[in-house]
Amino acid sequence: MADMVQILVLGLALGGVYALMGSGLSLVFGVMRIVNLAHPSLVMVGAYIAYWAFRLGGVDPMITLPVALVILAATGVLLYKLVFEREARSAKYSEMTVLLTFALAMVVEGALGAAFTNTQRVTSPDYATDAFFIGSVFIPKGQLYSGIVSLTIISALALFLKYSAFGNAIRATTQNRDAAELLGVNVNLVGLVSFAIGIGLAGAAGALVSFVFSFFPAKHWEWIAILMSLVVLGGMGSILGTVLAAFILSVIAAYVGFFFGATWSTLTFFVALFVVLLVRPQGLFGEKPELA
Amino acid sequence: MPTIDAEDILEQRRAYNETLAQAADKTRAAWFPIAIMAALLSLPALQFVGNYNYLIHLVLFTASYVVMASGWNVLGGFAGYISLGHNVFFAVGGYFAGMAFARFEISTIILAPVAGLVAGALGYLIGLITLRVRGPSFIISSLALVMIFRIFFENWEFVGGAAGVALKANSLPVEWAKLPYYYAFIVMAAFAVWASYRIKHSKFGLGLRAISKDEIKSESAGIDTRFYKVMAFAISAFFVGMAGAVWGEYLTYIRPNIFLIILVSVNMVLMCILGGKGTIAGPVIGAVLIVAFNEFFVATLGASEINILATGLIMMLCLMFFPLGIVGTLARHRKLPRILNWD
Repeated sequence: MADMVQILVLGLALGGVYALMGSGLSLVFGVMRIVNLAHPSLVMVGAYIAYWAFRLGGVDPMITLPVALVILAATGVLLYKLVFEREARSAKYSEMTVLLTFALAMVVEGALGAAFTNTQRVTSPDYATDAFFIGSVFIPKGQLYSGIVSLTIISALALFLKYSAFGNAIRATTQNRDAAELLGVNVNLVGLVSFAIGIGLAGAAGALVSFVFSFFPAKHWEWIAILMSLVVLGGMGSILGTVLAAFILSVIAAYVGFFFGATWSTLTFFVALFVVLLVRPQGLFGEKPELA
Repeated sequence: MPTIDAEDILEQRRAYNETLAQAADKTRAAWFPIAIMAALLSLPALQFVGNYNYLIHLVLFTASYVVMASGWNVLGGFAGYISLGHNVFFAVGGYFAGMAFARFEISTIILAPVAGLVAGALGYLIGLITLRVRGPSFIISSLALVMIFRIFFENWEFVGGAAGVALKANSLPVEWAKLPYYYAFIVMAAFAVWASYRIKHSKFGLGLRAISKDEIKSESAGIDTRFYKVMAFAISAFFVGMAGAVWGEYLTYIRPNIFLIILVSVNMVLMCILGGKGTIAGPVIGAVLIVAFNEFFVATLGASEINILATGLIMMLCLMFFPLGIVGTLARHRKLPRILNWD
């Protein structure tokens, strides 16, 4: 019984990080209809920023987090202006952007690999290897802190979307781009800002990931499929759905890992992706399935 | 009142189609592909005057990608369903024929069509599931497919897990050792190009092209879109599987990180996009260029990371500035040379 509780705790703790990684992806998809396959590779960039800040300056990843967020958000603005703005008129927009972000992921992976080699890295602040004990159940501090930080950031995002005027404009654009434009929303600005926020969240997630997982440039392929399963299960574009899916699947994956061995635990996400596409393509909170 | 004779109308239509076909023939240069084939088939004669193993390897490598890219083109080019996971079928073909070779010593060249059929059958089953969605969701599902198969192959002890299985090298002298595989790939490449021409100009191919333009309209026009799409998936998997079968024996090794790396599937996609999706000559030109690029980057810069970076960069630039590819762009401006008009 203690085992079962322990696994639940570990699953929930991991879910927090995945939730932050997935919510940026979901925001970008919701507003821009871009399935950003480069998202995990940009998480990787955030992780490397945190790693080098820690390695060279001994800076705690929690302090690097806002820096990574700002740097990646600026990168997001640049990418939007250089690459994605001109694709807006493309007839095969959704396919085109998927392929473009896929190519971008390769560029980022190649650049990181060339600059920092393919060695496994991890930042190791004190709390990363420490744990709290409640009875016989232990809670790893690193994962707990990262979960708390990520839920805080997601809540801030949710409040911003719900209560600020600009947040309302973002949600309106997600629901119906044309109608929002008719009502006077500057959809281009909304697109730019939400793209920047989404990529910025990737940077923030990277800082957290840097002490939760060990990472190397090519690892983002594994994350892509994991994040996609969250976004698809949650319903493309629904941030709440993505967060819920992150917790549900991480917990299931933790149990699968316990019963069948660690190798099979990531398989949970990929199989879930297929099952959802098969049974309920719109996911938990999505609207009708995406038609090309 | 004149009666309308159905036979007459059909006859007229047939005659009209015939004149169209003849007009199209005038824009082609059929001697060119035949000349290339003749040159490639006689290329190994160079081995009598020196060691050209590297050249032979390069042509073989290119031909293997011509098979795969032409196969991918059936689904990605004609039907418009972009799959980033076709290396799964490369692996399935490679493992099927490789294991048969390791156990029973049946040459993979003989088994290649069977391995292709196995991959095609699997493609049919997978297509039944993943082709329920389209657009971005389909692309995502194809990526997840690679991850699933990678985990399976890495943990399946029968096929050697992550370490894979070593296959016996053939006993030919070194200057002739590559030739069986060379001819196998050249023949497969020619077959793939010919088959994709035939598919494109069949009723089936017409249906696929209709699907890529507008799936809902084609469905209401009476095309069994589901069957067409799944068949296209199976056919493309067949070609990729066939290439994988011989590739394993050629490398004398089957291992997940030969077949199931993302670069293999990206190359197929990139070759079609660079050359021109949905054209016959496109995948061939793309394969030649991308293999040349890869060799150049590896030879001058030596690092696979730079190779990944460059591949991604070429892909981005291609998508942004030449979404129709070389053949497609030239054809649009009516500047396509006759020797490249294979459609």
